[in-house]
Amino acid sequence: MLVTLLSSQYKRFAAIAEAWLAQGASAFGVFQDGRPLVYWPAGHRLAMPSITAPITKDDEEIADLRVAGISGMTAEIRLKADAAMISYMLQLENELQCMTADLVTSQDQQLSLYRLTQTMRNHMSVDETLQALVIEALRMTKFQAGFAVFVPSNGQGPLLIQSAENFFDDDVAWQIYWHTFSHEHDAILPDPESELPCPKGVENLLAVPIWVRGGVMAGMGLANRPGGFGTPEIKLVRAIADQASAQIERMLLYQEMFDQARLRTEMDLARRVQLDLLPRHLPKVAGIDLYASSRPALQVGGDFFDFILGEGRPMIFSLGDVTGKGLSAALLMTMTRSAIHSKAQFMPFPTPEAVMRQSNEDLYNDFTRVGVFATAFVGQYEPGSQQMIYANAGHAPVIYRPFDGKPELLRADSTAIGILPVSHCRDQTLRMHPGDLLIVATDGFSDARNPHDETFDIERLIDLVDHLAPRTAREIADAMFETVDRFGGGRNQDDDQTLVVIKGAAS
Amino acid sequence: MEMKTRVAGDVNILEISGRFDTNTVPPVAAWLEQVTSAPKSRVLVNLAETTFVDSTALATLVQGLKRCQQVQGDLCVCSLRRPVYMIFELTRLDKAFNIFVDEEHALQSLKS
Repeated sequence: MLVTLLSSQYKRFAAIAEAWLAQGASAFGVFQDGRPLVYWPAGHRLAMPSITAPITKDDEEIADLRVAGISGMTAEIRLKADAAMISYMLQLENELQCMTADLVTSQDQQLSLYRLTQTMRNHMSVDETLQALVIEALRMTKFQAGFAVFVPSNGQGPLLIQSAENFFDDDVAWQIYWHTFSHEHDAILPDPESELPCPKGVENLLAVPIWVRGGVMAGMGLANRPGGFGTPEIKLVRAIADQASAQIERMLLYQEMFDQARLRTEMDLARRVQLDLLPRHLPKVAGIDLYASSRPALQVGGDFFDFILGEGRPMIFSLGDVTGKGLSAALLMTMTRSAIHSKAQFMPFPTPEAVMRQSNEDLYNDFTRVGVFATAFVGQYEPGSQQMIYANAGHAPVIYRPFDGKPELLRADSTAIGILPVSHCRDQTLRMHPGDLLIVATDGFSDARNPHDETFDIERLIDLVDHLAPRTAREIADAMFETVDRFGGGRNQDDDQTLVVIKGAAS
Repeated sequence: MEMKTRVAGDVNILEISGRFDTNTVPPVAAWLEQVTSAPKSRVLVNLAETTFVDSTALATLVQGLKRCQQVQGDLCVCSLRRPVYMIFELTRLDKAFNIFVDEEHALQSLKS
């Protein structure tokens, strides 16, 4: 340092020397550890100085000024003043060097942060981002090991990424993270006052929380920087954490958009499955006026209805509702519909009871595995018979209104398909004289809600059926959809709404 | 919806208040899955404060019941309000579940 100062300020040292020589000194020189660094006049070794004065740095003597051939109080004071001045210059030089070094470091860091942003942008998942974060943070800060964690708010599993496998015990890494999480602040180890013990093998550690969407959702821990770390490193690590925070937020936004798009695609697909499988044409059956329709909700449920007709066979219809939403419900709906359809079509003498029992046997194991069930209603009408035979597996609401009586709710005679291994379905018979009305609907009607969160309810549905009874099957169905829509007051339909309306007619 | 859980002897009790439907099912399903993984698990679902159940909620209870039966345990429900009881009756779930008027009777049956 002194040598640097001597070479950059050589002329000024020479001027001081000249002044001493002009005052009568025989020689002037700067010495370090007893050896001369520079002296005037050339050739004079200053072997016997008459006065010396120390040059200090941080109160420590690092060199001295020597003068020969002159003495006395005045000369001593002057030499001391010269030495003090040189000491001060040395201090300034030192500060300048530190500032320059800081500036260079900060420029490097800015460049590295820019590179970090670029690197992290290339990653599409939080997992990859955390990997990149740890690697880049170690490279930039010279720590030797590190980890990063992320705890998603959507209930998905938390992530822990380590630079070197098992440098930290997972428990230790989490303990450090939860510490920064609850204090919302950096953690620095070793710290005798912290409740966080310094883990084995860790000489020093810096852990920072990473803020995502206004809360701590992630964190990073870096350990074992040779020679320790100070404010510049802490500042840098915080800056890296800020970059990571912005990147994680971007990624979550992307993920959410992606999930929404996927859900939309899934729902579109489910709606198509559901609508494509519904009968395109309603059959014409002598002795009854029938109409059926289904309206899937935005979040498609698992409603279906179906008509099975065969030459010389009675007309069979089914209506059902599989629990759940979306593609899985659509898939299970297809299974249920097909099971019922094939039995009704191929059994030699199908009855609703037999169709339902067989279907329950077919589907019970699969349904138990995935934890769903399907309510179903199967009706059978022999043209001209004026009676409907039906079996009801846990389905509601089903309303029957004889032309000369009050509407009644038909209770199911067994549990839904998939609940019990053996179905207890029995064939039941309804009179179907002209004017007798049977309405099989799904809970999308009775459970429909208005903006005040009230449900339409079965009572209201029964009153409505009573009121609509004189109309044709088609008119009744249209009015029911319309009434439930009006009740909803613009609220999105929560569940699919499906119904089959059958009314006895003059044959 | 709000759910509260507690334990009486070896019976896990779940109280559900408010609407029990598609939107509120997940925590109940998670709790049931956890408690029904133990052998001979006994579970009581108290529906005294439940105002509404939909088919997804029923499916969750049925799944809990089946899981209990798989581990030779049992799941009962008690204290159903009229509209909720009507749903159980209409769909014949009263054949699948043991339904009790109150917690005391349910616990007696579960403990015996």
